[in-house]
Amino acid sequence: MTNQSVASQPPEGAPVVDFDLSTHNTMAVANSKWAELRSRTPVAWSDDNGGAWIVSSYDLVSDAFRNWEAFRSGRDVRTIPGPGGSPNLLPINAVPAQTTALMIPEELDPPLWQPYRRVFAELLSPRGVEKLRPRVEYWVTKYLDDVIESGRCDIVETLTSGVPGAVVLEWLGFREDEWHRLGAAFHNMSAFVPGSATADHHMAELEWAFDRIKEEVTAVREKPRDDLTSFLANVQVGGERTSYEFATGMVNMAMSGGVDTTTSVASAAFVHMHYHPEVRRRLIDEPELIDSAIEEFLRMYPPARTHGRTVVEDTELGGYMLRKDDRIIISEVSACHDETAFPDADEFVIDRFPNRHVAFGVGSHRCPGSHLARAMFKEMLTQVLERIPDYSIVEEELQEYPNWTALGGWSTAPITFTPGTRRL
Amino acid sequence: MKVLVQASRCQGHARCLAEGPDVFVLNDLGYNSTDVEDVPAHLAGQARRGVLACPEMALTLVED
Repeated sequence: MTNQSVASQPPEGAPVVDFDLSTHNTMAVANSKWAELRSRTPVAWSDDNGGAWIVSSYDLVSDAFRNWEAFRSGRDVRTIPGPGGSPNLLPINAVPAQTTALMIPEELDPPLWQPYRRVFAELLSPRGVEKLRPRVEYWVTKYLDDVIESGRCDIVETLTSGVPGAVVLEWLGFREDEWHRLGAAFHNMSAFVPGSATADHHMAELEWAFDRIKEEVTAVREKPRDDLTSFLANVQVGGERTSYEFATGMVNMAMSGGVDTTTSVASAAFVHMHYHPEVRRRLIDEPELIDSAIEEFLRMYPPARTHGRTVVEDTELGGYMLRKDDRIIISEVSACHDETAFPDADEFVIDRFPNRHVAFGVGSHRCPGSHLARAMFKEMLTQVLERIPDYSIVEEELQEYPNWTALGGWSTAPITFTPGTRRL
Repeated sequence: MKVLVQASRCQGHARCLAEGPDVFVLNDLGYNSTDVEDVPAHLAGQARRGVLACPEMALTLVED
């Protein structure tokens, strides 16, 4: 990627730190750097990452996410010079800032945000998700069936990446022979340092995915089918059909929000239970603990680790004055590990309560897919513990994402297990 | 016992529903629309846990 945001000057009086997110190349490194920063100052300025404030305590992360009036998500509020000097609108949720496909409603602020948020809120409410539950159960069963007689698989490819991909892409109405490539495009893109040769290769695949979305949106605006892409592409807002640009933005959002996020936390949970057999044992013996365990896995391993915003008016946060046009990086992962909010924050407490983690964010942009994510995660966890309870990770083949800036996870996690029987 | 909902703070996390399925009610968009004058004594535990679980601090418990 070639776009770099314009570094701002350090604000007067701000605590200045070195905090280059692109060096967070393992979870352990990233988490220890966040802990160090949080204990030093919950609000800091860093010239790294394009020049930005970094917010790391639970309380201030929550405050910043809720203050949409001061800290905006819309790319219209910050531009960088693009090719030929023309303004290049930045998606400022992205960390680091980069120009990618438009995401609706994540990149809208009220009042424009409201009708688009309603669309997703209703589709993905707890009641809405109930309608998808049979498909979630089917795909978890089917994908485990596919490998269960062999005694070996990559649990990421088979299950944690495969299932969210199938559920979301089937709902969107994409052809099954494209699911693997589409899922991989998002899975691989999340994992690499922007600007690296590997990332550039995956960027091309991601461009292909976004082009496929444009083609499908064009097709179903002409001739709607009975699927989510058709619904989103033709949705009525304020009495008329939404624009092609916003229709595409909503499908971009559904696909990229859906296919490689639950992957991250579910993979982390299976890796965690390999290294902590006592957690796996308790969940097998006391399956009623699965719901609270899910919240604790989310707290320990939030998929989205950071989000960006832009300051639209001078605003005080944590005793410092954030200036108009400054960029701000808000850390979900740091908030989730803040000792002041979570006693023994580095410990996995299976029945932690209350557990008001911010893995799905807080405030108006709370992840609207959170209920679907929980449903998919729970079904995967439940069936793995029932059907391949003795799985063991092939440790020498386990691979983390090589970068934990905005999303964390495991690229591959091969497992072996006692073969079982198919259910379908 | 009453549960007060500060609607402007609710963001649809639905953690109240997870802890208190017999106390809390969500609307079609998944936001809290609970309207209970009196939480029956046998549901007090659900109500308390539901209030504590809210990551937006949108709920308040008023004990009799």
